[in-house]
Amino acid sequence: MADQRDPFSDDREQSGVKTVAAEGTEVPLLLRLRDVKKTCKDTKNFSNDNPLMIVLHSEANSRSVRQLPIETDPPDHTEYRALVEPIFRKPKDAAYQAGIRDLVRRLVDDSIDLKEVEVVRGFALPLQSRALARLLGVADAEAEEWISWGIHVFRDQQLGPKGSELDQYILAKLEATAGSDADDFFSVLNRLEFRGRELTLEEKHGFANMAFAGGRDTVIHTVSSIVVHLAEQQDALSFLRDDEGRINTAAEEYVRFVSPLTVISRTCPHQTDIHGVTVEAGERVGLCWPSANRDATVFKSPDSVVLNRSPNPHVGYGFGVHNCLGQHQARAIIRSLLSELCDRLERVELLEAIPELEHESSYTRQVGYKLARVRFHARQP
Amino acid sequence: MPQVTYITPDGEQVTVEARRGDLMTLAVKHGVAGIEGNCGGVCACGTCHVQVDESWFEKAGPASDDELGVLEFEDSAGPTSRLSCQIKLTAELDGIVVRVVG
Repeated sequence: MADQRDPFSDDREQSGVKTVAAEGTEVPLLLRLRDVKKTCKDTKNFSNDNPLMIVLHSEANSRSVRQLPIETDPPDHTEYRALVEPIFRKPKDAAYQAGIRDLVRRLVDDSIDLKEVEVVRGFALPLQSRALARLLGVADAEAEEWISWGIHVFRDQQLGPKGSELDQYILAKLEATAGSDADDFFSVLNRLEFRGRELTLEEKHGFANMAFAGGRDTVIHTVSSIVVHLAEQQDALSFLRDDEGRINTAAEEYVRFVSPLTVISRTCPHQTDIHGVTVEAGERVGLCWPSANRDATVFKSPDSVVLNRSPNPHVGYGFGVHNCLGQHQARAIIRSLLSELCDRLERVELLEAIPELEHESSYTRQVGYKLARVRFHARQP
Repeated sequence: MPQVTYITPDGEQVTVEARRGDLMTLAVKHGVAGIEGNCGGVCACGTCHVQVDESWFEKAGPASDDELGVLEFEDSAGPTSRLSCQIKLTAELDGIVVRVVG
């Protein structure tokens, strides 16, 4: 049975491609790091201009708007992205990072020495939501509503389809902030201009939809995977404490190892051959990030978490012009989390962990955890 | 202390000095325009791309395979391109000049 953390290894080594059924066709997934990077760079022959189809399966049942900027190609993409880049770059600021660290500290305060913490919904979900409130410049209380939406804003397995609730929320916020000169995300969206005109409601909706959907389950799965790994590798915390530079290398390594997004697709305007698999014009290929991040021709011991791995040329945040807009936020969260856990915890005790599995026609892959019960043991001063 | 001169995409010359470290971290610390260092120096993001002045390239050394795996997809990469996170500051590099690609 294939390793559910890396069900692509045999195909990656042998052919470099694995097909998977999606929307009535067999979509070839690119599995090797160099192939993935090369495809990311070729935006003319591998297009993002295919609304609702950016992930493996169509999102037509859960949203109706084109996500911006991702579901566009240059030059439109370049200009759309530039509009919101200042918001998503806020986490590069030291004061902002201190705020995220404070947020993590308070979550750890609430969790430490409790009999148990359920990491996915009791720690990672509130962390992601409250951090997003900081990024979007809205009141902390807003995050409590987002927490009630569950892990994935479109399809939480426990709470059912939630897309319409997100749509209603976004549209209400855009309406409530019309004419506002405030600095929150929705007010800013209302003031932005694209090529000399105001953004349409659909464009604003598309930006907001992306902001809520893009970094939610990905961050949550990464955080839960980190906590479980720290419990499974009892020497990891002390290893990280020995050298402050390891917080950064570990943050990158966890993203490589977890690779919380399995596939992003590209649409081929012309018939294309992918390692012997014909892709008809208008059909799609998949960029398989977790597979690329375990390419043994690039990464030594790719199946191990090497906390001081450097260089680490992973593509956990994508590659090329569409690289992850929320990467600065994700890094701020992960680095703060690791720093705080190193400072505060003696160890993490694992009580129970149930992997979250993605079942597709040709593979089953673990992506984070459905549930992870742990106990945080305080470090003695 | 070894000195490094960065020539930014706007043509500004910024000279800084440090005892140790890498050229990306030093640039970020001093706010050199065009160097982001998003990945913190693990050769993942390519946001610290510089072109080493030809007269310094031999001392700085060529790009590693991991760097080349990023640089080959950079539109403005040239024969002296390096990721500055992979250039460690040493006494031998005192006075090095690099052009920030941005």
